[in-house]
Amino acid sequence: MRPPARGRGGRGGRFDGGGRGGGGRGFGGGRGGGRGGDRGGRGGRTPRGGRGGRGGRGGGMKGGSKVVVEPHKHAGVFIAKAKEDALCTKNMVPGESVYGEKRVSVQNEDGTKVEYRVWNPFRSKLAAAVLGGVDNIWIAPGTRVLYLGAASGTTVSHVSDIVGPNGLVYAVEFSHRSGRDLVNMAKKRTNVIPIIEDARHPARYRMLVGMVDVIFSDVAQPDQARILALNASYFLKNGGHFVISIKANCIDSTMPAEHVFAAEVEKLKADQFKPAEQVTLEPFERDHACVVGGYRMPKKQKTTS
Amino acid sequence: MSETAAPIGLSWAPKLPSLATTGGGGGGRNIPAPAPSTAQGSLWKPASDLVDGLFVPPRDPRKLNKMARKDVKDTTGKGWFDMPAPTITPELKKDLQILQLRHVMDPKRHFKRAGKSKALPKYFQVGTVVEPASEFFSGRLTKRERKTTLVDEVLSDQYLKSYRMRKVREIQESRTPGGNQKWKNKGKKTFKRAKDRRKQD
Repeated sequence: MRPPARGRGGRGGRFDGGGRGGGGRGFGGGRGGGRGGDRGGRGGRTPRGGRGGRGGRGGGMKGGSKVVVEPHKHAGVFIAKAKEDALCTKNMVPGESVYGEKRVSVQNEDGTKVEYRVWNPFRSKLAAAVLGGVDNIWIAPGTRVLYLGAASGTTVSHVSDIVGPNGLVYAVEFSHRSGRDLVNMAKKRTNVIPIIEDARHPARYRMLVGMVDVIFSDVAQPDQARILALNASYFLKNGGHFVISIKANCIDSTMPAEHVFAAEVEKLKADQFKPAEQVTLEPFERDHACVVGGYRMPKKQKTTS
Repeated sequence: MSETAAPIGLSWAPKLPSLATTGGGGGGRNIPAPAPSTAQGSLWKPASDLVDGLFVPPRDPRKLNKMARKDVKDTTGKGWFDMPAPTITPELKKDLQILQLRHVMDPKRHFKRAGKSKALPKYFQVGTVVEPASEFFSGRLTKRERKTTLVDEVLSDQYLKSYRMRKVREIQESRTPGGNQKWKNKGKKTFKRAKDRRKQD
């Protein structure tokens, strides 16, 4: 599933929650034709003038509009369908939005309230991989995840939503500045353990982290394959899985992206990883790929029939 | 007995008004099945199943299990945090149908195919978008613009309405006969021969 409504300028960015400065959209000046001109003036007054467009049209996903939430192919992930589609995760902390994302509140028939948070593929590489059609993300309710390169914790918050109260997320981030946001986010979520350490030295946090089922790595370093292998050797169980997002520019900006990806996959294979699939994050990120696979996979038993 | 039965009787009495009037024997009829934390509709039993006006759970454990299984609310399971399957009301059905037809609503909006299946989804929830504080002025519907269902939102949209009206008018015009009412164009089935079809193109 990819965001269906990307055809028109002023509206193309709605899917991504819009609020983030609008810079990435490149349609800042686009004011959708004659229609909605009266409202366009209002749009121009706010700092984010790009919203003008079809002001009066009420393009989907405005606060107060109705959406239908359905389960997605991947466990723990949902789709909110209306005039546009959006990826969602079930909010662990109802009533709180982590980074200014939209939420969907649902009242069940028995009176209980549930809340979902919209997951923006332009801000999260995992969401981009899901929309890119990856077959299995291995992150599901109840799993334990080691997250390398957690940054401010935007994706981590969604991973914590997916694994739910029975799962666990160890979020490793080196930078103190973004680690501050990460810690603040983790205060509200009981299943996130923030670790402000260098992912190159897993020995420094080995006493905090238990055995994990999945490692997600988004470190964007030239030696990220080595970092992943090192952490996997410490924490990843045999037959566990890894998800790594590779940014071609960070590894070698002189080579074409495909060659960089192929070289990285070769490096992973040398470290007992077994890459199963690779997707590009193309409409959302440039020259990125997401590789998913297993670690120390058990040999397949030949069935004698 | 009566004090346990009373709240249950209250909760489902509006659904079955006839029982409330005929059931002179007090609330004794409404003793629930072994799993009482279930949907209200499943509590009702026909009079033939009652013993002295009381419900007696069956002795056979297989039958008991079957009943318990029927009473469990249908959900997606723990993979999707037990998302329930709601009872389909006409409004909900309309909402789902309009979602399936959304590719014809707006000429400027294109959707990926949802698949060939025409079946409506079983597990879903209808929710309301809550905007973050930063989008209070830009991404929010006013109280007047808010509607109770998806269909109402689509119907109240002025732009979609004008497109819809134009399309209806175009179709009507293309099918009105030139002179004689008998020549009315009834779509595909009017043109039986290849020659006619060619003329139409």
